[in-house]
Amino acid sequence: MKRIITACASGVATSQTVASKVKSLLEEKGIMADVEAVDIKSLDAYIKNCDVYISITPAGNSDYGIPVISGIPFLTGVGRDEALQQIIDIIKK
Amino acid sequence: MLKTVVNAILGLGPAVFLPMLMLVIGLIIRMKLKKAFAAALTLGVAFLGMNVIIEFMFSAIGPASQAFVENTGLQLNALDLGWTPLASIAWAWPYAFLLFPLQIAINIVMLAFGWTNCLNVDMWNVWNKILTAVIVVGVTGSLPAAFVVAAIEVVFELKNADLTQKQIYKITGIPGIALPHSMALTAILLAPINRVLDFIPGLKNNNINAAKVKEKIGIFGENHVMGFIVGMLIAIFAKYDVKGILTLGVQSATALTLFPMVAKLFMQALAPISDAAGEFMKRRFPGREFYIGLDWPFLAGQPEIWVSLIILVPVILAMAVILPGNGVLPFGGILNICFAGAAIIVTGGDLIRMIILGVISTPLYLYVATSFAPMITDLAKSVGTIEIPAGQLITWNGLEAPGFRWIFAQAADVINGNFMGIVFLIGYLGICVWYYKYMSKREAEVIEELGLGA
Repeated sequence: MKRIITACASGVATSQTVASKVKSLLEEKGIMADVEAVDIKSLDAYIKNCDVYISITPAGNSDYGIPVISGIPFLTGVGRDEALQQIIDIIKK
Repeated sequence: MLKTVVNAILGLGPAVFLPMLMLVIGLIIRMKLKKAFAAALTLGVAFLGMNVIIEFMFSAIGPASQAFVENTGLQLNALDLGWTPLASIAWAWPYAFLLFPLQIAINIVMLAFGWTNCLNVDMWNVWNKILTAVIVVGVTGSLPAAFVVAAIEVVFELKNADLTQKQIYKITGIPGIALPHSMALTAILLAPINRVLDFIPGLKNNNINAAKVKEKIGIFGENHVMGFIVGMLIAIFAKYDVKGILTLGVQSATALTLFPMVAKLFMQALAPISDAAGEFMKRRFPGREFYIGLDWPFLAGQPEIWVSLIILVPVILAMAVILPGNGVLPFGGILNICFAGAAIIVTGGDLIRMIILGVISTPLYLYVATSFAPMITDLAKSVGTIEIPAGQLITWNGLEAPGFRWIFAQAADVINGNFMGIVFLIGYLGICVWYYKYMSKREAEVIEELGLGA
């Protein structure tokens, strides 16, 4: 199973909102994936085994060696379909 | 009759009535029964899960904090749990869910009349208003007063989102969003101090590479590392032996690591409601241009936030010990994220100023946490199944908008013939007027600087 990771300041609210949203959108398309929300302060420890990082903090992203997608569209709704398609394209590879 | 039914349901305890309520709401917003049931049960799991960790924490840190008080003679009886257990306690308040329609209705009315440009889809932080309401009930004993103050908070949050939107865009580079989080209300008190700092030579245009510093000290921001250190410090002052010190360190690390993991379950359970509410609001205003109000973590990528918070940890610990009348033993809220959210806006991300503002505002956070500890403890006792040891209080150092909450709670006490708070309120509103002009000017400057004007 492909692993998708999101992160916010505590791994509780915003990142979990995005994770739940992405997971249910993928399920609607019949795609099963692990979507996990973590604490951004501990991101380095979690990101190693993941396939995509959905970031809600456009500034200050280091090079993690995996694709990074903006999570903001999943919060605002603007550009959501495009962002979802990007994720699908990556995990279907 | 109705009252008997309601009391019987509330008598089942929040671990049972919250999922029941959630199931009903889920079905009303047309979730499938299977999903609604799963989400509802998750809420019960989240609530009991949080209780399990709080109990674990009290069994470990409770005795140590009492030994700390006995050995040092410092009356730090209010253990700071941080925000996650408080959210759990707040959601269990019997009237908590009424704050959803309150926030949504005020937002829609303000958008309809053009009084704000912010459409707040952040339903998670409805719990901020719940906490405010709980505090106001604690101070005044009046439920209507609690809802009035919560309503005023919603208005303040939206207006403040309008007043900071361009400045936040300049910091984050994310278009179309705003920050209607109550933590940002502290900017009202931080802005005048920041203005005074303008007159101090040497504070202009300092450029420190916060990202570099964060690489070096960022590890201290991780929950388990910070828990380990603070736990050991408490044990040392409690005169534990080496084994005891290390054990309490690991136990504290465990509590602070598990709190957010369980708190995440609340969001999982509430996500469908929050989603439906957000969609409901967006449908009200098709085609209208506005900013989407989000929770604060889109700012959390700024390294200045974490660097300033970590540097402020020893300051908070020292002040907790030194300040006369402080009752807070800092622990779970030692990284004061709610300060950083406000400070980064006011200073535009200037690290040195953030640290200075942090030192100046630490007493405010500690004293307000001290002042509200009895109300928070009472609520925890009345809603929870948590056994809080006698004489022990719980609180949260760094709760959002300490100034707003304290002043409005005291002002609301006018219904009990206590006029002291009104005096504070008049002063506060004066600062608000200045703040409105100051921030409007800064917004205009950013518009000009970034060429955002039409």
